[in-house]
Amino acid sequence: MTDFKQIENNLKKEAKRLLEAGEVTVVLAYGRGYDEKHSMPFAAKTSADVEKLVFNEYCNFNMARYLMRYPCGTKIAIAAKAADSRAIVQLIQEEKVRREDLIILGIPAYGMKNQKTDEVVDSKTTCGLYNPPLYNILLGEEVHGQPVVSPYEVLAEYEAMDKEARWAFWKKEFDKCIRCYACRKACPMCYCDPCFIDQSKPRWADKAPQSPGNMMYHLTRFHHLAGRCIDCGECSRACPVDIPLYLFHKKVAKECEEMFGQAAGMKLEDKPVLVDFRVEDSDKILE
Amino acid sequence: MSFKPKILGIACNWCTYTGADLAGTTRLHYPQNLRVVRVMCSSRINPSFIFRAFQLGADGVLVGGCHPGDCHYNTGNLYARRRLAVTKKILEFAGLEPGRFRVEWISASEGNKFAEVVEEFTAQIKELGPQQKLKIDELREKA
Ligand code: SF4
Ligand code: SF4
Repeated sequence: MTDFKQIENNLKKEAKRLLEAGEVTVVLAYGRGYDEKHSMPFAAKTSADVEKLVFNEYCNFNMARYLMRYPCGTKIAIAAKAADSRAIVQLIQEEKVRREDLIILGIPAYGMKNQKTDEVVDSKTTCGLYNPPLYNILLGEEVHGQPVVSPYEVLAEYEAMDKEARWAFWKKEFDKCIRCYACRKACPMCYCDPCFIDQSKPRWADKAPQSPGNMMYHLTRFHHLAGRCIDCGECSRACPVDIPLYLFHKKVAKECEEMFGQAAGMKLEDKPVLVDFRVEDSDKILE
Repeated sequence: MSFKPKILGIACNWCTYTGADLAGTTRLHYPQNLRVVRVMCSSRINPSFIFRAFQLGADGVLVGGCHPGDCHYNTGNLYARRRLAVTKKILEFAGLEPGRFRVEWISASEGNKFAEVVEEFTAQIKELGPQQKLKIDELREKA
């Protein structure tokens, strides 16, 4: 298990140093909520703020979500677990943020827990990586010796279903959706303004939380995140009615990886797969 | 009453649409279930068009573009190929019959191919029957 206290101390130390040296204007990390379990995204701007930083096993938020709130050129330090770091890589690929503006405080974390269910967060609902692929400073010891489980393993059961059963499953799930858009709000890759679902010309779908509009919202959202979703699982954890969105995102990510040979947010020099092509892409992918 | 499928065709201006024209001027016969929308390029096709078409009652969607390498804009169909492949996977994982959505490369000189593809696709959709899954409820009641 990761030593969360040690990471918290290192986080405070680094945050203080960076802020006092004026290397960054803001440190994006976690602050205490109304209890231990409910930490909150927190932006520390002064060395006094640093005392309010926390890190524990419930700090699941993907802080990359908040990077785009700051004007380009703002120097930002950001705490990033494995998936968060992938999100940052993806955002750099998409030219939403610049590498030189960021100081990434990498957090190798094993044993994160879902604050709603207390279940351990692992490759079932996320990408299952423990060490951030990109960072400037690592706040703890790298995690080694944990079994590497493919994040796509959980899909087998759903892929084996026949299409009628799968349709029934998704219809039931999407019918639960109350269209609070917490999934979109939590997602580091959902930054469009306006989101297609908020447009009125054309009006892509009904705004009411009913079956057809929900279906349209979700299918399109899965499509917009194809090859970009870095499988942090935040959308599903944010969902108040517990729709397993991660399953669909994982499926799309798996297909993209198989078809285009590249996982989202792993390398800075990659290009997102859907704004790229190869002349030698096969027509087989359309079958 | 026998089932008359409604099929949305989305065809690129330079190849498939011209190919369809050729099929017409050479007096080829093919089923009349296809309603064609012309777009300037297959990469103009927003995947939501396809989801929406199914919601609004299409039984099948056929997308036509230039052969890879022949795109009027050089690379449009290469982007479209990737994008529409993803669309297909999404529809499939949601539980729609995979045969309801098809992408074909048809050039301006392939009037024959156009007629054949439409014939084949229509037969396939007839086999699959009416598309009820994504269709919105109001339309379903009338059907
Ligand atoms: S879609 Fe969900 S899992 Fe994927 S990046 Fe967004 S919040 Fe994370
Ligand atoms: S968070 Fe859940 S309920 Fe809210 S819009 Fe997303 S899927 Fe629907």
